[in-house]
Amino acid sequence: MVVQAHAAATDPAGIDLDVVREIVSHFKPQDHQEAQELILAALQEVNERFGYVSLEAAEIVAAHLGTTANRVYGLLTFYADFRTEPRGKHFMLVCHGMSCYALGSQALVQELKDRWGIADGGTTADGELTIQVVNGCLGVCDKAPIVELDHAFHGDLTVERLNDVIQRAIAARNASPVAILGSGSDHGSQQ
Amino acid sequence: MDLSNSTMTDALGGEEEAGGSYGRLGSRADFETYQRRAQDRWTELWEGEYAVVSVGLDSSSIAKGADRVLAACREALAGDRATVREVSGNGAMWMEPWVEVKRPGEPPVVFGNIEPDEVPALLRGELAERAVGVRAEHAFNGVPPLTDHPFFKHQLRIVLANVGLIEPDSIEDAVARGAYSAYLKVLFDMSAEEVVAELTAANVRGRGGAGFPAGIKWESGRKAKVTPKFVVCNSHEGEPNVYKDRRIHEGDPHRILEGILIACITVGAERGYNYIGGEYPLAIKRFRKAVADAERLGLIGRNVLGSGKDVYFRVRTGGGAYICGEGSALMYSIMGVRGQPRTKPPRSVEEGIWKRPTVANNTETLANVPDIVNKGGAWYAAIGTEKSKGTKLMTVQGPVKTMGLVEVPMGTTMRTLLEEMWGGMRDGSVLKGIQTGGVSAGQLAAEHLDLPVDFDSLTPVGGMLGSGGFAVFDQRVCAVDFARYLTAFNRYESCSKCVPCRLGNPALVEIIDRIRFGRASLDDLPLIQRTSKHIIELSLCGLGQVAPEPLLGMIKQFEDEFRTHIIDGVCPAGVCPIGAPGIASVAAD
Repeated sequence: MVVQAHAAATDPAGIDLDVVREIVSHFKPQDHQEAQELILAALQEVNERFGYVSLEAAEIVAAHLGTTANRVYGLLTFYADFRTEPRGKHFMLVCHGMSCYALGSQALVQELKDRWGIADGGTTADGELTIQVVNGCLGVCDKAPIVELDHAFHGDLTVERLNDVIQRAIAARNASPVAILGSGSDHGSQQ
Repeated sequence: MDLSNSTMTDALGGEEEAGGSYGRLGSRADFETYQRRAQDRWTELWEGEYAVVSVGLDSSSIAKGADRVLAACREALAGDRATVREVSGNGAMWMEPWVEVKRPGEPPVVFGNIEPDEVPALLRGELAERAVGVRAEHAFNGVPPLTDHPFFKHQLRIVLANVGLIEPDSIEDAVARGAYSAYLKVLFDMSAEEVVAELTAANVRGRGGAGFPAGIKWESGRKAKVTPKFVVCNSHEGEPNVYKDRRIHEGDPHRILEGILIACITVGAERGYNYIGGEYPLAIKRFRKAVADAERLGLIGRNVLGSGKDVYFRVRTGGGAYICGEGSALMYSIMGVRGQPRTKPPRSVEEGIWKRPTVANNTETLANVPDIVNKGGAWYAAIGTEKSKGTKLMTVQGPVKTMGLVEVPMGTTMRTLLEEMWGGMRDGSVLKGIQTGGVSAGQLAAEHLDLPVDFDSLTPVGGMLGSGGFAVFDQRVCAVDFARYLTAFNRYESCSKCVPCRLGNPALVEIIDRIRFGRASLDDLPLIQRTSKHIIELSLCGLGQVAPEPLLGMIKQFEDEFRTHIIDGVCPAGVCPIGAPGIASVAAD
């Protein structure tokens, strides 16, 4: 089947650019060298807050730190942690470190392609789920294979348990529509 | 987050948050006063009349609910005069979440695999059978010392001495346990030449994988004439099988910071950097806290402790690109551009960050420095093997029983590590091989288990110490498929700057896919050798130059398995999609 590696997710709200301006205002470089050192950090904060960095947000970061949107885009497309398109409502990191590989993560990645139609970085056609295959290690190797779905870890996975974990997350959210919009605003606080 | 500290000070009838009552320390004497008070509090904590409950929280244990266990401890003890502490994990992932309970007049007892709802019973003393060990020299109530457990028995903890013991967010805990005492010596008592001499005598070699002697690097940095100079700590371990530097950050961030500051003073650098992988939020958070506390106490900044020396600090975080662990790529990343390596010379010690002399060391290397300064190079050189001195952090992955991070003297055999410390293979798993050196070297087989693990001993059989990460795999793993995984990792992480790596690695993946799908011929094996030779000889940086090694190792170690795929069209492990359609879409993934 055709894998939609970068299916566009719906993002009716877009990124609140005032929030981006607020984020970058905390970066106060003393000189142009320090300004350049802060580009990645500023982008990381925007990415963490919204789950991606839009062109408009990139332009604000570039203007604040005295560089060009082209340079910023070059960084966004080089470093794997950045996204330039919105995430789905749920976001899942699929660990593909060696412990996970040796204990079966390949089957999980395959299932995500076959059943959910998504590869690394992709979002399901209904906009529910975005995955990122971690080409490093989440560091919870004794519970391999493991995923981190909406900041909660699920370990010792089989294909069946993975499907179950995803379905339950989607069902739980649909049952309570007041849940926070799927941004990564609290990313890191749990870890 | 600060609850533990406030609880602690309640119990001790003491001041505000640890260190909070102190502003900037202006002199050596000020620091020594602060140090004595910290030590007194530490002693009072452990010898006092109140219970002390410590929960190990790091990125591994939190995933298993250690944060909820900590919350349950606080809830259960609310109103009591007990101290609840948030320490870090101690490397023993197999017993997480763990809780250490110290009752007045008794030694601390560590309990393993505690669920949040078990905490009340644990604190009532009803879970005695779950005790793993006593943190003391002698058994207590029939519970043996923790150090008698095979996982801990062979360990020699220098870098990890305080990990799991101190509260990583408390600079006072760290100082009580000796942090910054070596920094003090370097600021006031030792010349730069003397520091370098100790490092050289210790013969400490780079822990990032290359094994370059740190003393030589520091000496070049010290002699560099161009100013300003910088020191960079490389904390970007991006291999898919290493988690050692993350754990040092999470458990004892001040040790790393002290190592970097000592390097700055010794080589005359005006600024230290720590470049941490962006995927380690807890490590970043705890390290940033350490830097902020050190700045507040005046250990960083202008005229440190009245020594007349200035040193500044910056924390930078990576963006998930493995290549940024390469020295020049890391520096480009710090400077806000794509992390793509450049040709050398000039070496970074001549032209690094902003074209200034920059000394770059691995986290673990720098974390060894405080003890080398305090105890001397000769002490350090007495540990380990002839050419590999000191201890090494080792991590394991795969189907072993007691997984975790350990610190052992160099030269410990793989058999001791695997069969004793890591508990051997899980039931139903038979050892097939061990991937060494991250994604940059070949594999060990069962017959290599008696080799000592150090910088040089694994190389003759195609292995490598690298950064000390070992991935154990069993009969369920197919050598061809694993080779594909390892090669695909390097393909994905290639920075795309130079052609041999950019095009060579996808070509290798394509050939392996032919084998996996049963469409290869025997000509493909020599084709792999030829293509690999191109990549190894012509690539610009260390990533490309070793990228084919895991694949070549697999072919060397498991050639029969490759031939069975090709000749018989059979995958003995039953993993590969032999005969399946769709090879083109797979190759493009």
